[in-house]
Amino acid sequence: MYKSMRRAWPFVLPGLAGLLLFYGVPFVGGIWYSLTDGSFENKFVGFENYAAVWQNPMFQLGLRNTMEMSLICAPLLFLLSFVLAAGLHRIRPEGAFFRSSVLMPYLMPSSAVLMIWLLWFDYGGPVNHLLVALGGSRVDWLTGAELRVPVVLLFLWKNLGFCVVIFLSALQAIPESLYEYATLEGASFRKQTFSITLPLVIPSAFLVAILSFVSAFRIFKEVYFIGGPYPEEPLYTLQNYMNNMYGKLNYQNVTTAAYIFALIVFVLFGALFLSQRQALRRLNGGDDA
Amino acid sequence: MRHRRKSGRWLARGFLALLAILMLLPMVQTFLFSFSSIPEMKAYMKTQGNRDPEAWMDPHLSPHMISLGQYEQILIKDHTILQYFINSAMYAGAILLGQTLIIPALAFGLSKFRFRGREVLFFLIVMLMLLPFQVTMVPNVLTLRFLGLLNTVWAVILPMLFAPFYIFLLRQYMVALPDELLEAASMDGAGPFRSFLRIVLPVCRPALGAAAALSFAESWNLVEQPLTYLSARPELMPLSTVFNQLAKENTGFEFAGAGLYILPALLVYLFFQEDILSGIQLTEMK
Repeated sequence: MYKSMRRAWPFVLPGLAGLLLFYGVPFVGGIWYSLTDGSFENKFVGFENYAAVWQNPMFQLGLRNTMEMSLICAPLLFLLSFVLAAGLHRIRPEGAFFRSSVLMPYLMPSSAVLMIWLLWFDYGGPVNHLLVALGGSRVDWLTGAELRVPVVLLFLWKNLGFCVVIFLSALQAIPESLYEYATLEGASFRKQTFSITLPLVIPSAFLVAILSFVSAFRIFKEVYFIGGPYPEEPLYTLQNYMNNMYGKLNYQNVTTAAYIFALIVFVLFGALFLSQRQALRRLNGGDDA
Repeated sequence: MRHRRKSGRWLARGFLALLAILMLLPMVQTFLFSFSSIPEMKAYMKTQGNRDPEAWMDPHLSPHMISLGQYEQILIKDHTILQYFINSAMYAGAILLGQTLIIPALAFGLSKFRFRGREVLFFLIVMLMLLPFQVTMVPNVLTLRFLGLLNTVWAVILPMLFAPFYIFLLRQYMVALPDELLEAASMDGAGPFRSFLRIVLPVCRPALGAAAALSFAESWNLVEQPLTYLSARPELMPLSTVFNQLAKENTGFEFAGAGLYILPALLVYLFFQEDILSGIQLTEMK
């Protein structure tokens, strides 16, 4: 619309300055940081920090737990939100109540709900009650590896709504007339799903997949709520490692750990992006023929 | 989604109803518990953590007697929780105010002006949005340390003012606005500044509402930033970071604290619900 750069400055400048000050410049500067030893003369040490952090058992534990929990949380979030959105789409227009009750937790502070969660998953609490009633036996949810169950469920409770909303708006944006036309042409339900619904939903699905991972990497929040500031080993996340290093003023290690993680995240997202392109190409090319 | 069958619809409805109840139950239960008397709540919370395989917790859903004792305690008698609540309100308010001044303007600049480097800048903002907090905290810490702002409230507030997600959200909405809107205004002699205030902002109301509500929800549930940047100043923590401590202490009035904390979020949700459903247009890839 407006072509002159001069007129854009007043709008862009405050935000750009902040982004550069808090993210851009220190992000680039941090690379140099991660290559020095942090001593008084700050010697250049090459990739020594990277090797040291990579071999640190606590870093490995934190990274492994973070990746494991993200790989549980993100796909679950993705699948559940798609199923829910499809269900809500099916019962429209009277789904408004269900839709808002699914979205609501996204706006609620999960911190305030953690006490209810601890009650529900107590050894004598309702979850175990239900398990026993169904013929199972009690589980000690609040110690050891079982702790991950309430953590993951709290995460899902909080984050489902937003992904459902994105999927739902994608489903609702598909014009009815496309299906009517396809039905007139004699296209089967399966054919309609593959050549109308999926290709039109895939861009949103990609976005939901990415957002699921972005929020799953923040699982530390739920870990802190349920497991406290010093969680047991199965819950020790990367954030715990970084807070620990940060507490010891070991900035070199914090920076290095962050960059290793950034690299992993981008490789993961790159793979997701490529598989989205692949899926779109297959659906557009394969099924029309 | 053709070929709907009646039975499938009923199944979907039943499943969704069950789920809706489960999603709402934590809030409902918190409010119900918050109206129990303090001794009743204390006694009930003591039955928690019992490893006796014969004993069950009482599936206590509602208070035996309605009491405002917990609220009286936290609002009038003992101000610890109220102080944390005020901290939270201060963070959420300051962040929202700062974002209002910075983010819509930036999104407008990125969507309706053509300048060199615009696409690169937007791409970098999207990349930044995808980075987890574990990564972005590092540049933030380096700058905050350089400016001497660690362990002050600014450490929590300032980096949040440039939160890339809300820039993205608003930019996507503004890109989809037809240029004719602004061209008509130019014809009438309105410059970009006036068009922004008089046309773009009112038209973007749903997206602005959605961004404000989501941003509020985020800063109302702050954990990572205060724990990292305010580690030496526990008195500056927002209420969201102290609930697991409260749960351990069993003071008998922790649920009133939780109820008090949920209330503003509930109001924001009810007020902005429609905006969130209509204001999120993330996949408009231009």
